[in-house]
Amino acid sequence: MKHLDQEEESGVYQRAVLKNASPYHYMKVRLVLEDETSRLSAVELKQFILTGLKTLHGEVGAAINFDLLKYDEDTLTALLRVYSSGLVKLWSSLTLLGSYQNQDCAFRVHQVSPFLLALTGNSRDLQLD
Amino acid sequence: MSVDLSSTPRTLLVCERSSFQEEKNRVSTQVEQLRFNYKVSLLLPECNSLPSQLESVLDSFTSFYLIKQLPVYELLDKDFLETAVYQGNVYGLSYKTRIDEDNCVALLPNGRLCLSLDKDSFEVLGFEGKPSKFNHRTKSRFVISVDLTDRRMAPGGRGYQRLLTGLKSRLQLQTDFLLSHHPGGGASLQSLLSRCDWSEHRPQMSQRGLTELSCPAVHSCDPHSLLEWLGAVDADVTCENSSSSFLSTLACPEPKTTLSRALSVSVCGLLLPQDIQRLIDQLRCYLQQPRLESWVSLTVHGFADSPVSWGENEHGFLKGGENFYTLLMFHNHTYRLHLATGAHDACPP
Amino acid sequence: MPFSSSHVFPWPPSSSMAVFMDLNIRVDPDKSKLQRLIDTAAHLGFSTVALNYVFEPSTKKKQEIPVPTPISELIGELPVVQGRSRPIRVLNRLTVVTSDASHFRPNAAEYRRFDLLAVEPTTEKLFHAACMSYDVDIVCISVTEKLPFFFKRAPINGAVDRGVLFELSYAAAIRDSTRRRYTIANAVCLMETCKGKNVILSSAAEKALELRGPYDIINLGSLFGLSDENSKAAVSSSCRSVLLHAETRKTASGIISTSRTDQQEALQDQTDPGDEPSAKRPKHS
Repeated sequence: MKHLDQEEESGVYQRAVLKNASPYHYMKVRLVLEDETSRLSAVELKQFILTGLKTLHGEVGAAINFDLLKYDEDTLTALLRVYSSGLVKLWSSLTLLGSYQNQDCAFRVHQVSPFLLALTGNSRDLQLD
Repeated sequence: MSVDLSSTPRTLLVCERSSFQEEKNRVSTQVEQLRFNYKVSLLLPECNSLPSQLESVLDSFTSFYLIKQLPVYELLDKDFLETAVYQGNVYGLSYKTRIDEDNCVALLPNGRLCLSLDKDSFEVLGFEGKPSKFNHRTKSRFVISVDLTDRRMAPGGRGYQRLLTGLKSRLQLQTDFLLSHHPGGGASLQSLLSRCDWSEHRPQMSQRGLTELSCPAVHSCDPHSLLEWLGAVDADVTCENSSSSFLSTLACPEPKTTLSRALSVSVCGLLLPQDIQRLIDQLRCYLQQPRLESWVSLTVHGFADSPVSWGENEHGFLKGGENFYTLLMFHNHTYRLHLATGAHDACPP
Repeated sequence: MPFSSSHVFPWPPSSSMAVFMDLNIRVDPDKSKLQRLIDTAAHLGFSTVALNYVFEPSTKKKQEIPVPTPISELIGELPVVQGRSRPIRVLNRLTVVTSDASHFRPNAAEYRRFDLLAVEPTTEKLFHAACMSYDVDIVCISVTEKLPFFFKRAPINGAVDRGVLFELSYAAAIRDSTRRRYTIANAVCLMETCKGKNVILSSAAEKALELRGPYDIINLGSLFGLSDENSKAAVSSSCRSVLLHAETRKTASGIISTSRTDQQEALQDQTDPGDEPSAKRPKHS
């Protein structure tokens, strides 16, 4: 370990290209409910998404791990992290979720990226007018 | 026909380590190669308030202009070419246009004009170009890239006339346009601005103080974990989770330490590589002063809808258009550089 | 230019571009509901939408083919497309649901009042006829039942050769789980034969909360057996093909029926709704 540290601090030029190596994908989503005054706790939101995964993709879907990295109860906005291999399934189950406790709802997916950093630097958000 | 539900679009992450004192280091070239930058963010560990020398660099970031409904042929105006384009360092990018849907335009600091057009517009314009690298099945998007400083593109030249006529009478391309020039002041852009509806914009700075922040060993942490941690700090996501918690298992990579405080600073707008280079130089000076922590991190995000990224390479947008780099600088002049890009991009330099 | 509207667009007309489109939004007599649908579609990033009038003839009694209400009467201000400076473009579309050969009337003048024409055949024989000979832009794949037949290569290729596109809609899959199974089953079955080409994905939404964003639909396409690129085409460039096909179809039929004076009325509905003769106001509620 010590040897490695020395090498890393020596400043010798090194370059590596990692292809498709992102272990996770990150999603910025917002839940829109028909009754705009209803609120969900973080636990309820995660449960709800899990239900969606299980309904659409069965036990395999229910076994997909994802993290609720951040959640704002007032705006129902959340940051999700999922293993890259589970992204398509998680995303499609969010897309097909259409009702929460007998009221219509929709997940609005704002951005998806293999890099969490990209979610805070989206130029499509630039508002100058 | 079946699709693998566990696959995701291609991504690339280039990781470099070297020292600013190493001759082979190319940081300044790499910074220069990402031309159209939307956001710069800094993380300064063990820092309370923005040091004045850094603040003055950030405050002096060049202003940019937003031109409403710019007829693109105006970029070929003889006066504008002579007072601005030929002098170099003019940056222009169409605004409110999406590279996977609309026609997009970029004016590069080396005098190259880049048009990314759908097939119909391309054919109506009738100017030489190449099919986009990211076309699928059918050739539906085309890229025109001309060097305006080339003799054939000089006013009166044949290529110039063809492009001008095409843009004036056949395609009549108009777009909201972001424009900037290094060094600022805008004098060289006046001839163009005087004919347009424009507004001047300052890069927007914001800062946020953080306390009791878990921090990985930034020298040795693996690249993806490091970028994830920096992303979590930027997005204000907590890493204080246990691996068994229901909501989130995100944790700061081990081994970790705790920073008693840190400062996160960001600037948004159309940001020029020259300004970012000055910021890097100033950060290196900052690191030479004695401090508790001997590193800083700088992340630069490119525009997702720019027709080019990493030099003059074509850029596209499949499900995302990320193109950014993170530069981690240390007290001893060494650095770690990570350049990341999405599916429709060339490999970073 | 059949699709030019009274709005001045900053770019060339967007029928020329691979912008995102939802060519199936169910028209609703409730104007505020319809406005919410259009606003949401624009907010989600759709540049063009089509209001769909569904006509389901029954064999017993004669029914009137619906007449499209001019867009300007249905929608107040056209919302600006997300992140762009242009307003959304709204077209009219008619979908004829056929369960009998007599239900589709080739060259019916009433069809020409609409910008787009679609047919939803419910039997294999009618599906074959729709693919091979009906002068339509879109053939809808049913999502309300498990198709009682397999897609054969001949009609699919016939439709592809004639530039007719297949439409899959996803709102039913949001509404209930049985229809979700039908949607996925019929979609996968279609993709096996057409290899993901000549497909458009649309919503068939009746409510704003049934609409999804373009990138959501692109991802959803994977469940239907579409690659990312084919999926993206299904909400953009393939929709553009539908529009171009509609333009050509109308030009062609216009030449055939030159004796009629009202042949261009559907086009005028689109271009200049203010000058409509009163006889052309919608008769249905």
